[in-house]
Amino acid sequence: MDVGRHPKIRLLAYSEVEKVDGELGEFRVTIRKKARYVDENKCTGCGACAEKCPTPVRDEYNLGLAESKAIYRYFAQGIPSTYTIHAQYCRNFQPGKKCGVCSKICQAGAIDYKQQDQILEVEVGAVILATGYETFDARRIPEYGYGRLPNVITALELERFLSAGGPTHGHVYRPSDLALMAALPDLEKARQRARKGLEKFEKTFDRTSEEFFPLYESGELAGEDYDQWAEQVRAARKADGEFEGLRERVDKIETAHRLVFIQCVGSRDIRFNRYCSGFCCMHAIKEAIIAKEHDRQAEVFILGMDIRAVGKGFEEYRNRGGRESGIQYIRSRVAEVTEDADHNLTVWYEDTKERRVKQLAADLVVLSTACQPAASSKRMAELLNIEVNDFGFFKTPGYPPMDTTRPGIYVCGCAHSPMDIPESVAQASSAAARAAQVLSGSESACLAS
Amino acid sequence: MSRDVLVIGGGIAGIQASLDLAEMGFQVNLVERLPTIGGKMAQLDKTFPTNDCAL
Repeated sequence: MDVGRHPKIRLLAYSEVEKVDGELGEFRVTIRKKARYVDENKCTGCGACAEKCPTPVRDEYNLGLAESKAIYRYFAQGIPSTYTIHAQYCRNFQPGKKCGVCSKICQAGAIDYKQQDQILEVEVGAVILATGYETFDARRIPEYGYGRLPNVITALELERFLSAGGPTHGHVYRPSDLALMAALPDLEKARQRARKGLEKFEKTFDRTSEEFFPLYESGELAGEDYDQWAEQVRAARKADGEFEGLRERVDKIETAHRLVFIQCVGSRDIRFNRYCSGFCCMHAIKEAIIAKEHDRQAEVFILGMDIRAVGKGFEEYRNRGGRESGIQYIRSRVAEVTEDADHNLTVWYEDTKERRVKQLAADLVVLSTACQPAASSKRMAELLNIEVNDFGFFKTPGYPPMDTTRPGIYVCGCAHSPMDIPESVAQASSAAARAAQVLSGSESACLAS
Repeated sequence: MSRDVLVIGGGIAGIQASLDLAEMGFQVNLVERLPTIGGKMAQLDKTFPTNDCAL
């Protein structure tokens, strides 16, 4: 987090590289600094604008599990802390619409709807590519039900549920139950509206609805006005019933206790990516351990071909997960996930040790989705005139290991290949050292050749 | 010949590379597509194998 403060680092967030000319030692780079419509030097990051902003927007940081606003900060502790207006959603940027709430509320006067993208030119000696990865779109395996069955989620989504700062404050609820909880306020409002409607009649006729309705039904009171009142009584009773019915269901909701992880979703699969994504086994084990810490009743199953715990302390972590957190590792291949009317899930799989088809009930199914090259990496490769490998990750022909196919351009982290955090950090230091070495002239730019 | 460096991507790898180079005295331009640095790691709650907080 020192990055934002370091005197030697110029942080260009919300920016994209547009053009790269030149060669090692003298790359000329064109960068587009996108308009935030908020003055970075004035914004204090107080958040008053987002609080009052009337436009809800899907919260990408929380993977759509929560809402943010059209003026937003990607996440609370983010650096820089400057807010950004999402021009695609902000009313002020829609033809024929007006708003201006944030500019009125901002005490620092930081809102600037007229801000333009800035084009910057920088000259650099070397480039380090750390463009990361994207997760596999689990919809491509329809039999697992992601996107169709509400209680099938991805490992990254579970991460947001487990986070104390996440949409459920660390409680792992099933998305189908969250939808019920979210529907409750609307039904309560409908009930209140119906009751208000009754009050009008009660005032006019100076009688309570409870007194009126039996008299109406017995035929003692008749007439058009009474018909309307009776209609309103029926509507109010229905709204009451619906609200109470849902409230009963919501009261019974518990957090998800049975979690089933499916490994290798999109990796080690000849239909999609043949490679192993490396970190997903450990990620699943970590999430299982944390889930168990949050909820002692939790039962966790990890279904996969095998557990790849290759790394310092990883095997011990795997064993600890089994011993202390009761994780059950099942060597298997999953065929399908199905649900019943209440969105309870069943995982159908082949137990590859017993060679039998079995089923497992689950509250929540968590898909360990593959690590894939970022969608932007193809464009980036063209921009930088470097090659990608068969899978789409930036090609590193050999030694030194962080060198791409072009001198002066180095790669690290998941832009290189799937890897976990410690490995990314180690590679980043390696790429930095390599750039420093070349720029200092202490070593040839192309050791390999 | 420029001694400045461009780092593309402000996730954990880009941040680490930037800090290392800056500490060595190189001027770094760190470009991030999103409004905020941190990348995927900022979305993680805790990290293995130590279960330390990611942020």
